[in-house]
Amino acid sequence: MKRHMQATELARDERFVRISTEERFNDPRQVPREPGSKRRPGPQLRPERHEAPDAARAMMHAIFTGEIQALEGAGRTCWDFEVGADSPFELKLDMARQCWDEARHCEISVKLGDHMGTEVGEYAENVVLFEAACNPDPVLRLTGVNRALEGLAIDVFNTMREYGQATADPVLEFCEDWMLADEVTHVKMGSDWLRRLTENDPERRARALEFQRVVDKLFSAGGFRGDEDDSPVKLARRFRELAGFTPAEVEEISQLSRQARAEADAAVR
Amino acid sequence: MADPKKPRPAFAPWDRRELPGAFTVEESARRVGHYKWVEMRLFEALGGWVATVPELDVKMRLGTHTYKHAWHAELWHKRLPELREMNPERLTQPANDDVVAFFDAMTEPEAPGETIEKLVGVYRVLIPHKIAAYTYHLNNTSQITDAPTIRSLRHALDDEFEDWRDGEMLIQSLIDTEEEVERAAAHQAQLEAILVRGGGIAGKGSIG
Repeated sequence: MKRHMQATELARDERFVRISTEERFNDPRQVPREPGSKRRPGPQLRPERHEAPDAARAMMHAIFTGEIQALEGAGRTCWDFEVGADSPFELKLDMARQCWDEARHCEISVKLGDHMGTEVGEYAENVVLFEAACNPDPVLRLTGVNRALEGLAIDVFNTMREYGQATADPVLEFCEDWMLADEVTHVKMGSDWLRRLTENDPERRARALEFQRVVDKLFSAGGFRGDEDDSPVKLARRFRELAGFTPAEVEEISQLSRQARAEADAAVR
Repeated sequence: MADPKKPRPAFAPWDRRELPGAFTVEESARRVGHYKWVEMRLFEALGGWVATVPELDVKMRLGTHTYKHAWHAELWHKRLPELREMNPERLTQPANDDVVAFFDAMTEPEAPGETIEKLVGVYRVLIPHKIAAYTYHLNNTSQITDAPTIRSLRHALDDEFEDWRDGEMLIQSLIDTEEEVERAAAHQAQLEAILVRGGGIAGKGSIG
């Protein structure tokens, strides 16, 4: 088995349909937010909104495919790098632990999908998450995946947990709360390894944080995740701080999200 | 209530543990180093394969098993300094070149259509050998002086038996035709022959 595979090589059964990021952003179902505006970031998970149940199902499916890719990414980090100064034994143990956690999240997501009335393959899959997990530098990979993507997972799970509370769905709330606990652990893992592996290499740390910014902006998806009132996924500030983000770092993600939204608005004008 | 001052034997009548064992400290450390090397190669391979198997249930099981073998590697890593090996990397070695060749052959299947070969290598060849090697160690080492190794062996064996059953059931659920039976058997025979040449995961002189 070779080291370092491409996202295009990910193995899937025939139920899965893959789309590119471009196709996802050009989806005509991205209907306008307000009469005067040409776009909106996505449907909101508010119980009073008629589109909320469909949006929740779509998000659950996106969580499921994201968890598969997170599992695959952690697994490839176990395989792609030899034990050495760049990827210590303990780092690989953490990635193996993450494999188990992500496998459980896949199992939970499939069952929650059944519970919410969707099924595997009902929505398309975008593999941008795994693309971030293909970075050949283990520090950049860990930073992109464990801080940016798992950070997004914190925001998403918290949003879904609150939706479960608001819709009096104890199954959804219970499961999302458990997954949220795991994600905080994964983000903390990423923060700890970034600090340890770049302790004497500020230039590499700066590159890793820049890569994180790129991924964070990409995953803000034109304002899909942010601090605005109509952001479908809200920044979970408290949980991010638990995971080792400083208030300044959370604020930076909030700004990146606003920037991503402004750029997306400008693009459709 | 019994008189608390009355002398009692140090070993209760039902405690039949014995002092003698087949392994010295050095021999035990050598085997533990081989185990760590094997567990590392295994969890890395399982992790790498997750992305290459299209079957969703297999993908998720491999993810779970990846962690179990990483945890075994960690157990052995922590045991080495307790066996007077202060540089665990020195003993984290394969038993011989045949064991390396076995892992090279076991991790060769990569294509999405080779899930049977991937699973056969792990669950019909490697894990049965690990069960044998761990059991051989468990049953031959001193039950008193090497108790910490025994405890780790028992934890690892619990996982190995469970994972072997998971893997065997996955293999049986994937094999539908006589051709697939032959594919699985041929791959098993090829890998088994390499491991037999090496004397098993801990090398020649024992079982496993």
